[in-house]
Amino acid sequence: MVRSTYLFGFTLGAAVLAWAPLVVSGQTPNVREAIEALVYDPLEWSPPAPERHEVSGVTALLLEDRTLPLVTVLASFRGGYGLFGRDQYAATMGLPALLRYGGTATASPDSVELLLEFYAMQTSFQSGGVSMGSTLNTLTGQLDESLGLWWELISDPGFDEDQIEIWRGRELERVLRRADDPGGLAYSAFNRLLYGDHSIGWELDAEDLAPDRTTPEQFRQIHARIFCRENLTLGVAGDIAWDDARPRLERLVRALAPCPEALTASAIPEIRRGGGVYLMERDLEQAVIIMAHPTSVRLADETQFFAATMGNAILGGGGFSSRILQRVRSDEGYAYSASSLWTTPRRYDGLIGAITRTSPENAVPAIDVILGTMDQMRTSTPSAGELKTAVDRIVNGYVFNFQAPEQIVQRMMLYVSGELPDDWLERYAEGVQEVTTDDIRQVFADHLRPEEMTILVVGDPDRIGRDALARLGPVTVLEPQTPN
Amino acid sequence: MNHAAVVLATAIAGAGVGATPLLAQQSMGERLPVREVVLENGMTVLVLPREGAPTVSFVVRFGVGGVHEHLGTTGIAHLLEHMLFKGTNSIGTRDVAAERRLFVQMDATHDTLLLARAAADASRVSALEARIEMLEDSARAFVLPNELDRILTEAGARGMNATTSSEATTYFVELPANRAELWFALESDRMSRPVFREFYTERNVVIEERRMRVETEPGGLLYEAHLASAFTMHPYGVPVVGYMSDLQTLSRRDVEAYYRRFYGPDNAVVAVVGDVDPDQVEGWARQYFADIPRGEAPPPVLAVEPPQRGERRVTVEWDAEPRLRIGWHVPSGLDDDAAAIAMLGSVLTGGRTSRLHRRLVMDEQLVTGVYASTGPGTLFPQLFQIDAIPRSGRSIELVEAAIYEEIERLVATGPEERELEQVRNQVEAGNVRRMTSNLGLAFQIADSQSLLGDWRETFRWSELLDSVAAEDVRRIAARYLVESNRTVAVLRRPGS
Repeated sequence: MVRSTYLFGFTLGAAVLAWAPLVVSGQTPNVREAIEALVYDPLEWSPPAPERHEVSGVTALLLEDRTLPLVTVLASFRGGYGLFGRDQYAATMGLPALLRYGGTATASPDSVELLLEFYAMQTSFQSGGVSMGSTLNTLTGQLDESLGLWWELISDPGFDEDQIEIWRGRELERVLRRADDPGGLAYSAFNRLLYGDHSIGWELDAEDLAPDRTTPEQFRQIHARIFCRENLTLGVAGDIAWDDARPRLERLVRALAPCPEALTASAIPEIRRGGGVYLMERDLEQAVIIMAHPTSVRLADETQFFAATMGNAILGGGGFSSRILQRVRSDEGYAYSASSLWTTPRRYDGLIGAITRTSPENAVPAIDVILGTMDQMRTSTPSAGELKTAVDRIVNGYVFNFQAPEQIVQRMMLYVSGELPDDWLERYAEGVQEVTTDDIRQVFADHLRPEEMTILVVGDPDRIGRDALARLGPVTVLEPQTPN
Repeated sequence: MNHAAVVLATAIAGAGVGATPLLAQQSMGERLPVREVVLENGMTVLVLPREGAPTVSFVVRFGVGGVHEHLGTTGIAHLLEHMLFKGTNSIGTRDVAAERRLFVQMDATHDTLLLARAAADASRVSALEARIEMLEDSARAFVLPNELDRILTEAGARGMNATTSSEATTYFVELPANRAELWFALESDRMSRPVFREFYTERNVVIEERRMRVETEPGGLLYEAHLASAFTMHPYGVPVVGYMSDLQTLSRRDVEAYYRRFYGPDNAVVAVVGDVDPDQVEGWARQYFADIPRGEAPPPVLAVEPPQRGERRVTVEWDAEPRLRIGWHVPSGLDDDAAAIAMLGSVLTGGRTSRLHRRLVMDEQLVTGVYASTGPGTLFPQLFQIDAIPRSGRSIELVEAAIYEEIERLVATGPEERELEQVRNQVEAGNVRRMTSNLGLAFQIADSQSLLGDWRETFRWSELLDSVAAEDVRRIAARYLVESNRTVAVLRRPGS
């Protein structure tokens, strides 16, 4: 259970006023003392929980909410570009766009557009490394028309050749324009450096987008492997009860073919280790800096994971309350944004590192500040106040996990597909409250190695200072990938 | 009324908001139970209680932005926005008096620095910059860094931020509902007793923000060049983030004077939306804000952009793929023609079946995207803008010509009723969807109250769109989208 003083009880308007009005003639009030004297009633409130059902073997979650005449239906499918080969990468990446815009077996793309716009339905299609998803948001009164059209897009797509060509042209243009965005350029290069030819490091290029890799047949093959019954999880949120939702969901499930065969898990990436300094030369007013190295902390119900998340919040993941932004921005004025990252995938190693952008002249000083700040995290414990800030944000802000019914259902669907327990959010809130400052120092001591950072700088070497950069280690110059 | 509109009307009528015959004529938005409180000092507070998770969203909108600047102090509204996160007399400091003593020395040194820069005395400039840095470091010994952020973060706040536009500076945050009073205590303190500490460091942060958003971003460069060319006189032509040379010279005194002039409570609208008791919120508003004295009356913006008498063209050379931006001068967002102008934008680029999207993106595949908008503000005559991203190998000239052809076709025949109906349906559905977000609603009613003098006006927009006829769209396209009234900006690679 979450920290007892913040139990979710809520009494409207019962917060206690404990201090006098601010502006008193002739006095300057001490607001810090005044707000410390404020007393807050606990929130007497029970977080809504979705009902969990099964429809023809498919898990379906429902959260009824009658506030507005809107229904959101969510479909999540196991399967993404990480589960297919590079020769199918483009077709897998393009699948969401082609489902949305490629028409259906019975309706041309134009007809679909007219209907979607006429009924003002909102749909979205997303893809990731191991899953794909789609969402429909519609007015309750149009649920049946909307649901029918949306599911036809998903289950019986047309993959119109003209639409494929339009998508292909747009993606080729994105490849060409990648170099226009220094941040995007840096992320691409950094992912290639660390993940090599693993799917995590892939980005679409002209070879992927060759016509023979993006035929309607290619899309159909991938579609059949992913958008099938056994890969599906459903969610419904909004203005509908289960008795009304059930028959509709059953129709959706029945319209999907069974999966031809199960998809195999993606390969475990071999992440580059050993560090190094890399430079991509670009004549820019600002240098982009990314640094990271692999760590073995995984998402799990254990102290190490919770200590890593709280430690990252203190290091640089917690905005202005964290050290990196404080040092790089507030103290030095080097950058508008600076943050740390600590990713914790479940099956393979994650990354710990940092990101910022600064004027070329301040690039190396900013790197020094970040590395120094990191080093402190493994040699000394953070203050109790820093840990309190990080934990209080999670505990007191717990209610923000329940602002919208579709947000709650979507999170629960992620737990289902990610094989996390239904009460993971509550466990997380409990876990972070048990972290000590010693746990945080220990997790950094065990897992953070600033000297093993792979550091990439995209910028003007003459203004950055070649000698200054070389002081960080031998510099390898990377050539930007030239689109063909 | 078509089928979809009937469905929408039925759905909205059934939304559970109590209705009398009179109220039934109002939209769902207009019937929201917003309590409007105007304090003695002129500050307007809007309170909208909503069911759902026990959270509350706060928005404070000051009617001040880029249009209230002039050359030499561009970017000051945005810099002030940054400075208001630095604390107050009591928040963010261990000893404000000691800080202030150092401010005097720092600011005097800065005055001297500006003179040294003007004299191009490099060694003196360097020495003075080092002295300012040293003094700011000394003052930092008395600072509790980012204390405002820490207090709100520990309270569980989400999304604390601010934004500055041509006409407004808006501060926002969300809190658990039981901590609502904390916001009143902190915000009234910030509004009445801010201290602009760490000023010169924060000015550097804003300079880095400009580098990120404009000087390394092709779209930002083109946007800035386009507005500067289209507006020769009106401050809409000045970038909200400020010119680099101005950012390098703005002083703490400049920002303090600007704050005093524009940040009075009578220039502020507060919106509180979420799981709150309106009586209690009104009580807190009176308790915490009512004693803040009125500010100076902000001077009106009197600059008027003279009529454009001939096409203007501007080229930005940059090592990036090409972009195109076209703008035509049109009336303000408060004008009777505003709804027809919005309808024109939707007919041209609103959705995949819109005219320009269909032709340029789908049929001829000249561009990857084409987007119409109005801007950069609302209150003054503005631009109707079209942005296009040409596909590789397609000439910008071809794209431009196709856009003009489609406009001519629209002027010749006007839009079809089907096109207008589609836009109206989208707007109606959008009205319902906007009700899902406390923060979105808080922004909407605060903007409407501040800009239009009535929070309900924003919800009347669909009625105005309903009243737009095909001939209105044709008429305004014919009147405004003409060659002599347009400014065209192109971004190309050097030598291309």
